[in-house]
Amino acid sequence: MSNYRYWLGGAFVLAALALIPTSGSAYTTTLLFTMLISYTLAQSWDWVGGEAGYINLAHFAFYGIGAYAFCLSLLNGIPIALCFVIAVVVTSIVALVVSFPLFRLRGDYFAFATLAILPLTELLAFNFDFTGGADGVVLPPKYVLFEAYYLAIGLVGLTAIATVWLIRTRFGYALKAIRNDEEAAEICGIRIFPAKSGVLIMSAGFASLAGALQGWQLSYIDPTTVFGLDVALIPIAMALLGGSGLLWGAVVGVIILSLFNQLLIVSLPILQTAIFGLLLLLIGRYMPGGLLRSGIIRNNRWIGFLGREHDRFVKATAGVTMTDGLPLPKQSDMKGQPVLECRNLTMAFGGNVAVDNISLTINAGEIVGLVGTNGSGKTTLFNCISKVFEQKSGDIIFLGQNLAGARRDDASKLGIGRTFQIPQPFSDLTVAENIAMPLMYRGAVSASLPDALGLATQFAEYVGLTDHLSARADSLNLQQKKALELARALACRPRLLLVDEVASGLTPMEVRNFVNHIRELRDNYGITIIWVEHIFSALAQVVDRVIVMEQGSIIADGPLDDVVRDERVLRTYLGSAAPEAV
Amino acid sequence: MDASIIIQIALGGILLGGLYAMVAFGLSLIYGVARILNFAHGTLLAVGGVAASAIFTATAWNPLLIMALLVPVLGLFGYVFYDKLLQPLTKRSHFEYTVGSVLVTVGALLILSDVAAWIAGPAPRNIPLRFEAMEFGDVIVSTTQAWILGGIIVFTIVLHFYIKKSWFGRAMRAVTQDHTGATICGVQADRVHALTFAFGSGIVAIAAVLYTMLFPVDPYMGFSLTVKAFTIIILGGIGNLVGALIAGIFLGLAEGFTSFFWATQWAPAISIVLLLVILVIFPQGFGWRKSK
Amino acid sequence: MLTIENLAVDHGKLRAIWDLSLNVDTGARVGLLGANGAGKSTTLGAILGIYPPSEGDIRYDGHSIVGNSPPLNVESGIALVPEGRRLFGEMTVRENLEMGAYTKSARAGVADNIDHAFALFPILKQKHNDMAGTLSGGQQQMLAICRALMSSPDLLLLDEPFLGVAPILVDEVMEALRRISDEGVTMLLVEQNIHRALDFVEHAYVIENGRSVLDGAKDTLLNDPGFSNKFLGLE
Repeated sequence: MSNYRYWLGGAFVLAALALIPTSGSAYTTTLLFTMLISYTLAQSWDWVGGEAGYINLAHFAFYGIGAYAFCLSLLNGIPIALCFVIAVVVTSIVALVVSFPLFRLRGDYFAFATLAILPLTELLAFNFDFTGGADGVVLPPKYVLFEAYYLAIGLVGLTAIATVWLIRTRFGYALKAIRNDEEAAEICGIRIFPAKSGVLIMSAGFASLAGALQGWQLSYIDPTTVFGLDVALIPIAMALLGGSGLLWGAVVGVIILSLFNQLLIVSLPILQTAIFGLLLLLIGRYMPGGLLRSGIIRNNRWIGFLGREHDRFVKATAGVTMTDGLPLPKQSDMKGQPVLECRNLTMAFGGNVAVDNISLTINAGEIVGLVGTNGSGKTTLFNCISKVFEQKSGDIIFLGQNLAGARRDDASKLGIGRTFQIPQPFSDLTVAENIAMPLMYRGAVSASLPDALGLATQFAEYVGLTDHLSARADSLNLQQKKALELARALACRPRLLLVDEVASGLTPMEVRNFVNHIRELRDNYGITIIWVEHIFSALAQVVDRVIVMEQGSIIADGPLDDVVRDERVLRTYLGSAAPEAV
Repeated sequence: MDASIIIQIALGGILLGGLYAMVAFGLSLIYGVARILNFAHGTLLAVGGVAASAIFTATAWNPLLIMALLVPVLGLFGYVFYDKLLQPLTKRSHFEYTVGSVLVTVGALLILSDVAAWIAGPAPRNIPLRFEAMEFGDVIVSTTQAWILGGIIVFTIVLHFYIKKSWFGRAMRAVTQDHTGATICGVQADRVHALTFAFGSGIVAIAAVLYTMLFPVDPYMGFSLTVKAFTIIILGGIGNLVGALIAGIFLGLAEGFTSFFWATQWAPAISIVLLLVILVIFPQGFGWRKSK
Repeated sequence: MLTIENLAVDHGKLRAIWDLSLNVDTGARVGLLGANGAGKSTTLGAILGIYPPSEGDIRYDGHSIVGNSPPLNVESGIALVPEGRRLFGEMTVRENLEMGAYTKSARAGVADNIDHAFALFPILKQKHNDMAGTLSGGQQQMLAICRALMSSPDLLLLDEPFLGVAPILVDEVMEALRRISDEGVTMLLVEQNIHRALDFVEHAYVIENGRSVLDGAKDTLLNDPGFSNKFLGLE
């Protein structure tokens, strides 16, 4: 479906909704109004939940704060348009403030903390004088259903536009990266806190407008109706029922649950909540991924499109090129000058010293092999250089800049690219999207999403993943994931590339291919490379020198031929006896 | 200020906190073993309390007898709840497991409280025992309070040693600390999960009867108890019973004294503010090191 | 005692083991060598029942144990010293040992086996009340070995038992393993340090990309040009 059809379809639906009040009954209008509000809530929750992967159980608190801010402003004689603005501003400020402590937390702990916020707001509303306590806020009686209804249609339109915007922009992709792996997101140059905080504020702003409209329409609010738990979880359930993270998820969830709820109210005098709970329970048990992700929907010719994942919506720009071969800038020639210097670098976890007072210098244009037994500190050294860990003491100087206190995204932007020993791709994104991620987040030269996806094809071709461009990263095998790691690291346009065990598990032919890549990256693009590898034969083909680590220290540093004859190296790396094969 | 009043408030706070801690014990074990936030956990106390009160009203049985009846019932409920509704989710992706377990436990919360309200009515109720006073100087304590205080102490000690020394207790701790490690030792992890749900729910049954003998319960009060229990396990450390007891009593005392010296309506805020503050200071939880 | 025939194991959609066959005689010490990611740990996991095989057969004492759960296999005499040790960091040394005897048949022998463990590594006796998480790498590895011995196994699977062990302790651990072997326990050892492994085992299998490619005794392997290439790569 082309863009223009989408907009036409959306406009048509909204127009049809707009006609309801003139033809339908007040009952129908009220029901639809409730559904519009629910959609805004469910969808705005899903920006944080489905896109960024944070289960925010306090979403309804923003709705309530918006409702209170609006109603109290209106009661004090402030013009109504301004009241809506106040509601949004107040709620956004609250969201900004709480985002600082909340986003220190991850996973279940985030859910724990947000869970506590809702009863707290309810309690505050109960106990403060200016909120009217348990009596709530009563607006002067005025019939505003139609006005509120039309505004709600507008709000839903805005929500839908914002959702589509999220799917198609860098910002949305930052959230998707965060959802999958925050560490890898930072390595790609994404600053994660502003992104997380931003989406929470955006989500809170929309929820507050929903609350304001609902309060206006009811002309009465009290703590239980806007902060109560049983109502608070319903929008979340709607988003999850449809399918969290899907474009149509909230829409479908809202329609089904609202109608179901209405049916219960009309037909069943008792146990409505219990039946509703039963429905939630069954969804959780049998389709926790959401209705739209179930096979029945996905494989259906007519409605299958509802279950599409985001990746089909954005088309790559064809034929974007910067240079021949890889779209990498040729680095300025500074051969022989130091790129990276570590001075007395030490890293310890508790009492366990993983990197012990290491000093080393890597010069521009070098390819350096880094070897050592498991647990000798190679990966920890990489983690310090790429700022995954902040070193305990010592300095890391990269291109003349001291990296003390730098964030991971800073390191990435300065030009340190890396792969992970255990590949950390963004699992539920495609290969193209994985590679496009750093291309969109590289300061002055960052590309738009379609351009980045276009450029990604060239990186994919380079590492041999052309056939898998639109495959999800988690469907790749280990070798393919490692290739993807390399492509993503290259897409960071590094000046220094840290390669962590790419060759293990490859056939000799593939290893040779990979070695050629490494050489080419240095010769053609001027990238300096440190390569951790167990397979000596692979290193032997390309490295200028080898650094050997053992127990956190460097025990040898020099040309490969010298190093493999070093007594200490033989002892620690190959065992007590000297290998006969040398 | 009269010292005897302070002592009486302190006693009330300790009793309340001890009962909170008992709810938290189960939740803590369940979270540790299965990594599920069981939102319905506090609701089990509410529903169990309502049931105990209803049975007492109808039969006037000894509360201990009611307890003996409720423990296996709720324990069986916990086992089946995990085995039939949550265990199948473990085969799914991490995201679906999290979302699914939230939906299942929230659904159970709504069903339990609504059905209980439908059967027994939504009004608060308790187990009205005759008030027999014991006097220590100016301090007046009911025999019920004294028995329950003793009961909580004995129960915590027994539970502590059970978890420390019994094979099942060790297995629960082992699964909490290293799931794969436990499997390697020959522990059937799935079964330990389900049994932990049963065990935690059984503890709630005991707490429910004790609670209802002292304070009124209603079908909808469960969720605020769950929040308090979460606070306690974060404060006391996941899987740490002694820590949970201390945290629970601290919370009970804080609530009691807040009500007395400041205002009753702010007492519930204590646990929430405490939870938020702790999480902000210790983003990985308190007194609990992350084990991979 | 243990026979693996044409084993294949999948991790989700990815195949980790393609076609692996090996044979371990009663009382023998057999090595399993290969590069990182070759599938060594997966093989041990498959034997214990952690990873169900997709194809092939694993026979133990003449019976197929494919589909058996880890508890069942531990009960029948297989024990694993896993990669990364997998100790219970916040349980004491003694409690960790007790967990090793969790299966019904092992519970009776707890006291004897703990004494045996303390005799093997006296340092564990000294630290029996310390949390396992506070031990050094070498001590943790000793504890992991002893925990596996708590079920009185006939077949001991060892996954890189020298990893993270300080050089001065390596010999002590090695010596203990020899003693365990002398007591009649069959061993299958995964090890990265080729020479150390070949000094210890009587026979070794080399696996590459999830396939067994080579096997033989120490001298046979060391004289095989393909072998040194695989590990030392110095053509």
